[in-house]
Parts: sequence; structure tokens; C-alpha cells
Amino acid sequence: MRFNVLFGGKAGQGPNILTHILGKILIERGFYVFYSRDYESVIRGGHNFNVLTFSNEPVHSNDSNIDILVALDEETVEIHRKDTKKETILLSGKEENMYFAGKLFKVLGFEFALLEKELKEIKKRFEENIREAKRGYDEANQTFKMENIHSAECKEKRIFKNGSMGIADGAINSGMDIYYAYPMTPATPILWELAEKQIEKNFLVLELENEIAVANAGIGSAITGAKTMVGTSGGGFDLMTEALSLTGIAGVPLVFYLSQRPGPATGMATYTGQGDMNIARHAGHGEFTRIVLAPGDAKECEELTSQAFYFSQKYKIPSIILSDKHISESFYTLDGKPRLTGSKKWTNFGRYNSYEKNSQGSSTENPEIVKRNVDDRNKKRIFIEQESEIFERFKIFGKKDSENVIVSWGSPKGAIIDAIKYGEIDAKFVQILYIEPFPKEIWNELLGKNIILVENNSTSPLNDLLKEKIGFNAPPKSIILRYDGRPFIRNELEIEIKKRLRK
Amino acid sequence: MFDKKIGIETSSKITWCLGCFNFQILDGIKKALKSKDLNEFAIAAGIGCHAKIFDYLNINGINTLHGRVLPACLGMKIGNPNLNVLGFAGDGDAYAEGIEHLVHAARYNADIKYFVHNNQVFALTVGQPTPTTEQGFKDKTTPLGVKVPPLNPIKLMLAAGASFVARVFADSKQVEWIAKEALKHKGFAFVEILQPCLIFHADAGYKEKIYMLDEKHDKTSLNQAMKKAEEFDYNIAKKIPLGIFYQVERETFEEQLPQVAELKKQKKSWKDINR
Repeated sequence: MRFNVLFGGKAGQGPNILTHILGKILIERGFYVFYSRDYESVIRGGHNFNVLTFSNEPVHSNDSNIDILVALDEETVEIHRKDTKKETILLSGKEENMYFAGKLFKVLGFEFALLEKELKEIKKRFEENIREAKRGYDEANQTFKMENIHSAECKEKRIFKNGSMGIADGAINSGMDIYYAYPMTPATPILWELAEKQIEKNFLVLELENEIAVANAGIGSAITGAKTMVGTSGGGFDLMTEALSLTGIAGVPLVFYLSQRPGPATGMATYTGQGDMNIARHAGHGEFTRIVLAPGDAKECEELTSQAFYFSQKYKIPSIILSDKHISESFYTLDGKPRLTGSKKWTNFGRYNSYEKNSQGSSTENPEIVKRNVDDRNKKRIFIEQESEIFERFKIFGKKDSENVIVSWGSPKGAIIDAIKYGEIDAKFVQILYIEPFPKEIWNELLGKNIILVENNSTSPLNDLLKEKIGFNAPPKSIILRYDGRPFIRNELEIEIKKRLRK
Repeated sequence: MFDKKIGIETSSKITWCLGCFNFQILDGIKKALKSKDLNEFAIAAGIGCHAKIFDYLNINGINTLHGRVLPACLGMKIGNPNLNVLGFAGDGDAYAEGIEHLVHAARYNADIKYFVHNNQVFALTVGQPTPTTEQGFKDKTTPLGVKVPPLNPIKLMLAAGASFVARVFADSKQVEWIAKEALKHKGFAFVEILQPCLIFHADAGYKEKIYMLDEKHDKTSLNQAMKKAEEFDYNIAKKIPLGIFYQVERETFEEQLPQVAELKKQKKSWKDINR
């Protein structure tokens, strides 16, 4: 069984803190939790909501049917009424968020002490919060029946983190020295994460005047031997692309974190999408080698970040970590520790050049030297392709011998896995983690099967990628696309997949 | 790492025009760096005639993109705060393509020495006007002549809060002197070098109009510096003051970052930090 709690209200009313407290406590009690955030680009007002899904089995996505609706304002009830059912418990009224925290805890049958402990940790407004929470707890008169669900005893402590925390931890644990950025949603949360930890962990976080300065300063630091990362979203990445090209010719080990949101241009600042695979693969003029890695959850964010540093340092190339708003800002329950790839500081200061260069690092137009330089840059691609074979470049979930094969990359992973499991779908799921270098052996997984592609965009760059790399072309009816800025919802996706199954 | 024994020279053939004032700048810089340990230096150059200086100085660093000299310098300084970082840029780099970095570099006050070879023209792309080209200048791309007044970089730097603002003529002795002064300065040093381009922006009689600021000029007075900066508007030259317009000491960017300050104290770079 999966249960969904929706917290809605105006920006500033504090639905986030409520969601997070419940998530943390559910995890401590042995449940699996996933929650996503839907918020508008406003500071105060508007309509924001979070959906928290929990179960005693792993969950990685939300459902549209709400079991408990916590409405901090009237609008929330109006907007989400369509997602409720007869049994849905509605907690609403003109009260503050901590009042609802108390009420919710009582409804779920949790002891008040648990909430008290959390409020103590928050510190801020403790007296006021505890009074409101107690009042809510005492005034609650409904009980949520969690049929057939009991918190599973978990032996090891599970971790609760969002994709941004995953990237940040991955970078810190890879020995990152410097992170440069200019604020841009949804890449800003990692800036917060890192900025907070920079003193304790002894690395540096700097905001510069724009993304052009960020990428070029990143290059300056990287060539001195510092492990360096820069981060942004699509618009900022566009500004960095000339510098990306420079990393290609000069052999600079710079890691780029690209968290997608819908475009073109400003698109929608606070929503999700996967429209930037092609800029990650092709941005920057000229021919050079890069790697593009696409995590599908918080744990993979951590693992792939360490791999990005590894390949950048070893081969002196740019690495791009391609995430999106849904991964960056959703909280995942991590089972077990991520497996990180260590890397040394393999870069020496020397004479780097944006021009073709000779053995002294000075500019040259000598045709033999230029040809050799180009060949050296291209050889990196071959070496990286070979070495990447030992990494998990794609993953397989679901029924291994099924006739139906779902292929996807990035954030739809969660909804796909849950759709297969909870919808009891007869399908195998192939998740691609390495966009470049592409694992061509997935051809074996697709051959002769009924292929279904799932992507959070409107033109399916994944289909183009498969076409280019392995000569595979999915018919339009086999491609499930969502491009309204919202992530895939488990039960809705389940219906779409089922329509396309080979019986 | 380059071989210290080789010294400052590279084997690259110098391809500036015969008699180009860039030779004077190169010579002045080499003299200023004489007897220094070049391993303690880093250089960056932009794109244009000036940038060839990177090829002729055997010092670590990067010949970077057009306009991006300052972020490259900042990155190297942050990456290894023990390096003496020198940036070379043309007027196209400094005042057109990368002007945002110039304004912020003045604010940040990182310990970077920035030399702008201002020949008031895009020379390597064969003669188009830059932000400091005088009104009325004509070329194939601007047959109607430049209409807008030129930028006064000295005034801009003073307004932006640069802690060292200077201008010299592209004469080897002047360049050597100002480079040594800039190296002594702790913080961002903005040095503009007026450099006639023999082919596309010939000597506009600057040599007769230049004069050095004397000891009566108070380098710590922003007012006096502004007044002196206004004597030459890069349009019509009557008198062109040269020398250090303004110099004050204030905390550097890297001194204010505890992590970087600690590296400097320990004479380490990030590369030396093992985790």
C-alpha cells in the first residue's frame, strides 16, 4: 500500500517544513518516503504544494489520489478536491502550519514526543510552535486507518535526501576544492548545500558576476590542480558553452552540473523537464570529448558525481552531470550507502591554450601539430568508452525476460519503477545513466522487444539518441511524453504504459 | 611545469608587425620579471594582437577566450593564492567583450595585475572600432564613422572602486616601471597601456601630448584622480596624463576568504590538500 499526503498553501505559509518533518519521522519509523515539491516563482502568496508518498516498501514517486489533504489555505482545498476520495482526511482551517503538524501526528497515531523532538531541532520559534502543535494534536478527532501497513523494522538507518544533497555530498566526498555558481533555479539548492558545509569540510564556494565568469574562473582554478565544479540550469549553461569548448581544446578537468527546467529561454523557473539532453551532448563549438551522466535519483546523483570527477581528472575533459528540477528538489529514501569512485588530483599547472598549441604551450598553426592535437582529443573518447565499460552505464529493473521494454533516463525513473511494481506491469525497465559514452550493448536488451520510451519533454531526444547510437527508432505511439513542467505521476503513467503493452 | 632552465623565452617566432608597440610592452614586462622565480607567476591573455604575448613568455597560465582574461586570472589566484597573477588584454577584451568582469574585478580587489594594451582598435580583425575609438573613425565596417563617444576606462575604474589605477605609454621603460609598481601593490592593479597601432590606428600625436603625473598629484585622492582622468577623453587629445592616478590599500578578495587565506599562510594550493 502507498499513502499520499498533500500539503498545500501559499508561499511563506510553510508547507515545506511540515512535509519535511513528517518525512523524517516516517523514515525513522522504518517507512520509505518520497516527496516532491510544486511551487510557483513567487516569494509570498501563490499556490505551493508538496506531495509526500510513503509505504513500508520502497517508493520513488507520487500518486494523484490523496489520502490526507493538509490545506493551509482555502485555495488548496479547491484546487486539489479533484484528487480526493470519500475517505480522504481533510485537515483545513485558518490555522498555522504547526497546528496542522500536531493534528496530522494525532491522525497518524504518532506520539506527540516525536514532533516535540523535531521542533526542538528546528529551534526557531520553539515555544510558539510547540503550543500550536499541542493544540492541533489535542483538537484532532479523526484517525487515519493504515490498513495492512506497519512500519518495517529496518536494521540500518535509512538516509533521506534530495538530488541536490546527493550532488553536493558526491562532490564533497570526491574531494572537490572549489564550486563556482551564479544562482539559477533549480541549481540553487546545491549552492545552499555546499555553501553551508564549506568551512567544516574546507572547500570553497563562490558566486561570481555571471555564468561566463563562473565557467572561466572554474577553468582558471582547475588548471592549477584544484578539483573544481560549476553549476547552473539551461540558460546559464548556454552562457557557459564557449568556456565548455575551451575545456575541450585546452584539456581542462571541469565538472559541470546542469539541472534542467523547462525552456526555451526562461521557460518555467520552478518546474521540471528534460529538454536539455542535446545541449549537454552538443553545446560548445568544435569537436571535443566530454562525458554526460544522467542520475535518476538522489543516490545516483552522489555516485555519478564521483564518476564525473574521476573521468574529468583522469582524461582532462569536461564532465556534465545532467539532472533536473524533479531530482534536485525531491526527497528520496536511500537504502544503503552510495558506492563512490575515488579520484586523485591528476592535474598539473602548465601552459594551457584556447588556440592549438605546441609542446611549449604556445599557439601554433602547424598542420602536423594541429592534426596530432585533434587526434589526441579524439583518442580520449576511445579510451573513455573502453574504461567506462566497467561502470554501471545502464540499469535493468522489473521483469528481466519480459517482451515489453521501457527505456528512459533521469527523473522519470521513480515513476516507472513504481508503475511497474504497484501496477504489476509485465515489463523490463532499462535506465540509461551514461548518455555519453553511450552503452551500445543495450541493443541486446531492446532487440525484438516491444519498446516504450518515457521522457519529460516533447520531442524525445532519447529516441534520437537511440537512433544515432544503435540505429533504433521507436514509433511515435510507443513514446510517452510529458511536457507541462510536471513530473510523471505513478498511477497516470501506469495507465499510459499499459495501453502500450504487447499482450 | 615548464623547465626553469629555459627561462622566460619561448621558441615561438614573434609575429607582430615590424616596429609594433607590443614589442615595447613585451620588453618592459620581461625586464620587470628579470631575476624573479617564474614558477611563482601565472599569466593569462585574451584574443587579439596583445595575446601573442602569451606565446612569447614562458610562464604557466592560459591563453584564454576573448574577453575572459579576468575570470581566468581570478580562478588561478583562487586555485593557488601563492601565484603572482598577471593578465594581459586588448581594449576589445577589456572594454567590449568582457567589460562586466572588469567592473567586478575592481570591486573584488583580488591580487591580480591587469595590463590593457589599448590601441583603440580591433587590430587582428583588421581595423574595426572598439569602445575607446574616437568619434569619426571610419573603416570598412563603419563607413559612416563612429558616432558615439568613447569610454573613459580610467574614470570607469575609479568609479568601480579599483585600488590601483594607472596609465602609461607603450614604451619599454614606462611599462617596466609600472609593472614593478603594480607588482608591489597588494590588490587589483589596473594598468592601461596606450599603444598606437601602426597599421590601423596610427600614432595620433600622443607622444607630444603625454606627461607624467608628478609628486603634487595625491594618489590617495579620488577627486584628484577623477579630475586628472577627465583631461583625456580618448576623443581629442590635448594633454594626456600618465602615471598612477589612484592607489589605496584595501583588503584583497582572497584575504577575505578564510579557506584561501589559510592556504596562502601555509604556502599551499588546493592541489596540495589531500582529502
